[in-house]
Amino acid sequence: MSFDQVTNNGNEGINPHAFATPSPPGITSDAVDMELLNAFEELQLGDGSDLIVELIDLYLLDAAQRVTEIREASIETEWVLLKRAAHTLRGSSGSLGVRHVAEICERLERMDGRDSPQTVADLVRLLEYESAMASASLAAVRQRRLN
Amino acid sequence: MRVVIAEDDAVSRRILETLLRKWGYEVTTTLDGEAAWEVLQGPNAPSLAILDVMMPGIDGLELCRRLRQSPGSMAPYIILLTATQGVREIVKGIEAGADDYLTKPYDRDELRVRVQVGARIIELQTKLAERVSELEVALNHVKQLQGILPICSYCKKIRNDLNYWQNVESYVADHSQAEFSHGICPSCYETTVKPQLESLQISVSAESDLSN
Repeated sequence: MSFDQVTNNGNEGINPHAFATPSPPGITSDAVDMELLNAFEELQLGDGSDLIVELIDLYLLDAAQRVTEIREASIETEWVLLKRAAHTLRGSSGSLGVRHVAEICERLERMDGRDSPQTVADLVRLLEYESAMASASLAAVRQRRLN
Repeated sequence: MRVVIAEDDAVSRRILETLLRKWGYEVTTTLDGEAAWEVLQGPNAPSLAILDVMMPGIDGLELCRRLRQSPGSMAPYIILLTATQGVREIVKGIEAGADDYLTKPYDRDELRVRVQVGARIIELQTKLAERVSELEVALNHVKQLQGILPICSYCKKIRNDLNYWQNVESYVADHSQAEFSHGICPSCYETTVKPQLESLQISVSAESDLSN
């Protein structure tokens, strides 16, 4: 089941059953725009450090924290906190080419009182799934670069 | 040129910092608006600021307002960065005092040229401020020479700002770009120099007669 199949349901949003039992996150997913990520190669400082590894480390640390914040905020219906965390995660995801996570965050930012709690909960579950996929992809890239 | 970045997202902050260093700028990074405010109020403050709009504490818009209202030092050139798109957001940012606005994810080349525009404007402002300062100093000198000068009716010395009587020649030299070449006018030659020369000639002749 692709990201588009899961989310492409018009305003109704998500099909929660599509990711109810996700397959183990694989490194072949399109969760990360590798072209965008590899474009950071030209910014390498040439001092022996690897900017891409550094950015992946920063992202993995930050994204895990933001997803937790979003989940907790959705449970406690703290919409301001939820939107703020989604906004920040969208920024870092967009910068690094983690496109599906960025798209879900954008939808979370646009949430308002008209969205049912179930819709929000489904979207948060989708975010957790896509974030896990992206993290696995990024971790694999990181491992390859360190080898 | 020194640039300050205020960005709470670690990934975006590191990317920005790397890009700006690569382009030759001296970069200071901060995690929120409060820290950026401190840097911009400190000595040798950066002249260009790249601020994320949504930050904890003082956000980018509030920081813009504070910087524009801050008296004294020249406010930096401000580029706002946000993940929120739309004309309304841009208008809000510019109204708050930003000079430019970019939405994330931004194109690197677009950021580079916009920062270059900022650097060019800062350079022009600095040159303009220097010229204004030079003109103000020059204008002060002109005013002193145009004002009422107390002058002695007899010896023609001028009382200067320190209350000392100074001869006209040195006073004018001190308060203008004028230089003097010395000569004798026909009137002074007739009334002063010629009698002195005649008197000198007489005394020389007398000494000569005596020695003979």
